[in-house]
Amino acid sequence: MSLAFSEDTRARHERMLARYPNREAAILPTLHLAQREFGHLSAEAIAYVASLLGFTPARVEGVATFYTMYNRKPVGKYHLQVCRNLSCSLMGAEHLIEHVAGRLGVRPGETTADGKFTLSTVECLGSCGTAPVMQVNDDYYEDLSEDKVDAILDGLR
Amino acid sequence: MPNFTLNGISVDVPEGTTVLQAAKTVGIEIPHYCYHPNLSIAGNCRMCLVEVEKFPKLQIACNTVVTEGMVVKSDTEKVRQAVTGVLELMLINHPVDCPICDQAGECGLQIYYMKYGLHKSRFAFEDKVHKKKVQDIGGQIVLDAERCILCSRCIRFLQEVTGTSELEFFRRGDHSEISIFPGRPLDNQYTGNLADICPVGALTSKDFRFKCRVWFLRGTRSICPGCANGCNVEAHFKEDIVYRLKPRRNDDVNRTWMCDPGRLEYKKANEARLLTPVVRENGGLKAEAWEAALSFAAFRLWETVEAHGAASVAVIASPAFSNEELYLARKLAEEVLRTPNVGFSPRSSGNGLSDDFLIKADKNPNTRGAQLLGISEEKFDDIVRKIEGGEVKALLVFGNELADFPGERTAELLSRVPFVAQVGTNEGAVSLAAHAVLPSASFVERGGTFTNHAGRVQRFWMGFPPRGNARGGIEILVGLANRLGAGWTFAGEASVFRAIARSEAPFAGMSYESLGELGQIAGGKG
Repeated sequence: MSLAFSEDTRARHERMLARYPNREAAILPTLHLAQREFGHLSAEAIAYVASLLGFTPARVEGVATFYTMYNRKPVGKYHLQVCRNLSCSLMGAEHLIEHVAGRLGVRPGETTADGKFTLSTVECLGSCGTAPVMQVNDDYYEDLSEDKVDAILDGLR
Repeated sequence: MPNFTLNGISVDVPEGTTVLQAAKTVGIEIPHYCYHPNLSIAGNCRMCLVEVEKFPKLQIACNTVVTEGMVVKSDTEKVRQAVTGVLELMLINHPVDCPICDQAGECGLQIYYMKYGLHKSRFAFEDKVHKKKVQDIGGQIVLDAERCILCSRCIRFLQEVTGTSELEFFRRGDHSEISIFPGRPLDNQYTGNLADICPVGALTSKDFRFKCRVWFLRGTRSICPGCANGCNVEAHFKEDIVYRLKPRRNDDVNRTWMCDPGRLEYKKANEARLLTPVVRENGGLKAEAWEAALSFAAFRLWETVEAHGAASVAVIASPAFSNEELYLARKLAEEVLRTPNVGFSPRSSGNGLSDDFLIKADKNPNTRGAQLLGISEEKFDDIVRKIEGGEVKALLVFGNELADFPGERTAELLSRVPFVAQVGTNEGAVSLAAHAVLPSASFVERGGTFTNHAGRVQRFWMGFPPRGNARGGIEILVGLANRLGAGWTFAGEASVFRAIARSEAPFAGMSYESLGELGQIAGGKG
């Protein structure tokens, strides 16, 4: 297996394991670490996590595919996750999604040809008071309008 | 012993019994998919909902333990509506491809739909979530993901019984499906059980796929002849062709499971069968009627005893034969031919695969039976030495091969004996060399008992009469013995077993009645 955590991540992982009562509970945070380290959770990454924790790859795959925040496919440099749940939809998320899709030339779930942007629609981001909301990698952008989104995308170029 | 009321019937049950188990004991059927008596309780199919007095909501019968005074109803309108609703939910994304599904006829969805559903689908076919069909996931199994109802029996089986955990739930919601991790197919010797425990057509048997509609099959209770474990099975057949073996529950032997190699043992009843008596004389082979073949074999044995003495005759018994047949073979040798040369070998050309669960290295179903009947393994080696020394002038062989000898060795040995008669089921090195081939019935074509490695004497039942011109081993042995003047009056396996129970200490006191469906441990040295 060619995939492996760096020395640094391995140490973080060791420290992290101590915080959980059993190996089962450590699957989720280990997957998050792996996603950060490898960009997305390829079959190889799943098998690596499984071997780290002593589970079958199928067990880890089952966990990874249950949750939506694990990326099973490679994502672009910027992962745009636009909320489409109730509050955001009421505040025009649908149009926003169409606008972003039109600008980037991709449908939700797709990545631009240059590998820079991946557009996803997601359920509630927990920021209904500032709808509509978009998460770009780890950052929230709130109270969005088409102009604001354009400015954000320009800034990410 | 808590007492509770189920649909108005008062029922006493042992402590810890669930409502579902209790209902079974009084013949009340509570529908279920995920519950399996030999697996842990998952409680996820929700089909076994029942009303329990003082509980505000319906409870699942599989995981509700009976307590004193509990009042349960499984036949109310409320229950019926709930079960119908659960079933409708399961059928939403089901492809309803029954016409091309092997499970049709023994499918939990079909059965319960007719009983509890009968609703019109509220979903057009195009609305359904489709999943991958016809996936080879290894072992004996093909997976059709969209037929699955996610009961998790297969997942639990692989966790709890084989410990190999190849299958898991992937994804969520109506995209949930069971699957293997890519490149990690089923890797255990018990995969066939997955098709048995799958209540729908999601996991089907590669071997059985598209061979026969199940409603054409009839079944008989049997014992797997593949090794010394003696797993209880049902043999399913149409006319005189056997299509599959399914495990039959016996918690003392195999619970509800059987191994993959054993599952294919049925092929021996279909393929390369010896179906008509054959006599080899003056270098040519000739099919004969039974009367002629038996008389020929009996005459040659008698002639040899007359010319060279009883010690020039030998009988090689086979641990693939029943207790009844082995007993008569020994009796024929000792009392009719009066030869000391009777032995058997438990060695066979099988691969010797074994594990700590069901698979035994001894690939014979009745080695223990032969031992308990006093047939000796040392005598086998002795007989082989005598054959090599030219002392054996006539030989009666049971079975299709000699011990684990390669074909050439068997041919070479048998070529040293002037007269070889065989009682056997399949073509092989022995039938190629024999001067008289007396074709015997397969394990599905006769009844009898095998004694497994632990000394458990277990019955197997005749499913259909012997194929072609084959005959039951008992009938063949009686025919031979009586042509040699024995005057035996045995008719059928039960009469032979009665004689065994009278004269053989380990079997003392046993009868077919006492053996029942699940067998009994032989006494004596046990």
